[in-house]
Amino acid sequence: MRRSRGFSLAEVLVALAILAIVITTTIAMFAEKAKRMREASETILAYQALSNEAEYWRRESFAQIDNPDNQNFKSDLDILAPLTPYTTTVKVETTRADIRNITLTIRWAQREAHLGIARVDTGGSGLW
Amino acid sequence: MTRRRERGYTMMEIVVVLAVFGVFLFIVVTLTSEMRRNEKKWPVNFFAHPEVGGVLARMRRDIYDSTALPDNFETYNSGPVTLIVYTINDDGTAETVVWDFSKPGEVHRKAFKATLLASEWMARGVPLFLVGLQPMPSGQDAVRVRALDGSRLAIDEIIVPRPHE
Repeated sequence: MRRSRGFSLAEVLVALAILAIVITTTIAMFAEKAKRMREASETILAYQALSNEAEYWRRESFAQIDNPDNQNFKSDLDILAPLTPYTTTVKVETTRADIRNITLTIRWAQREAHLGIARVDTGGSGLW
Repeated sequence: MTRRRERGYTMMEIVVVLAVFGVFLFIVVTLTSEMRRNEKKWPVNFFAHPEVGGVLARMRRDIYDSTALPDNFETYNSGPVTLIVYTINDDGTAETVVWDFSKPGEVHRKAFKATLLASEWMARGVPLFLVGLQPMPSGQDAVRVRALDGSRLAIDEIIVPRPHE
């Protein structure tokens, strides 16, 4: 007789609470996955831009590397559109008279990506 | 007492349960749609596609080893969907490679010895590739390869030929 009475409001609420916890956990898992995928996409886009920029800096004349007016990104940064707003910086360090360490940085949404290259004064080819 | 237990739910009970679950569903749907909208902002990661990786790897090798980037060859003319590369083969001999991106979803790599077609390789299911020459500060021409996911730029790579002596 007792079994035919149906569920009480409390029982139904408890069941719904358990279901809500399961659904929330699942959604949170997918949200975390989406966040990590987005961060991976951001990193891939940033490093494509850094890699292209490094090609320019590898071929800049050695004399121009120290010019402060020249220390900015030169390549087309269209690929960084999804990262907007972002900032770019070029840092040049002199470790020896004929060596420059160049660090290229892109910053966006409290994240940043760096790429460093070394340039040696080879006397004029302008390649390295 | 027994009769009371068989009465089922009152309207108020059903309304309360549905209201609680409705609020929960509303929150879940709002969060999910926001997440999906965010995802659409990002271009597809083509680097995860083996076919795209294969195209880029072969192109890099051709361009790194190239000694010239001719404007035309036979019936082909260099342009946004055609790249002509005069490159060095595995055996040290020269060959002319034509990269043809003109057919949507396909990439064709045709290698010619003199004017004879020596080999052809193709990839299917690839995005729209665009190629062009990119002048570098050293005066050298590089090749800029781009791939679009719809209107979004997904790949943008500058490949600079290696110096040859």
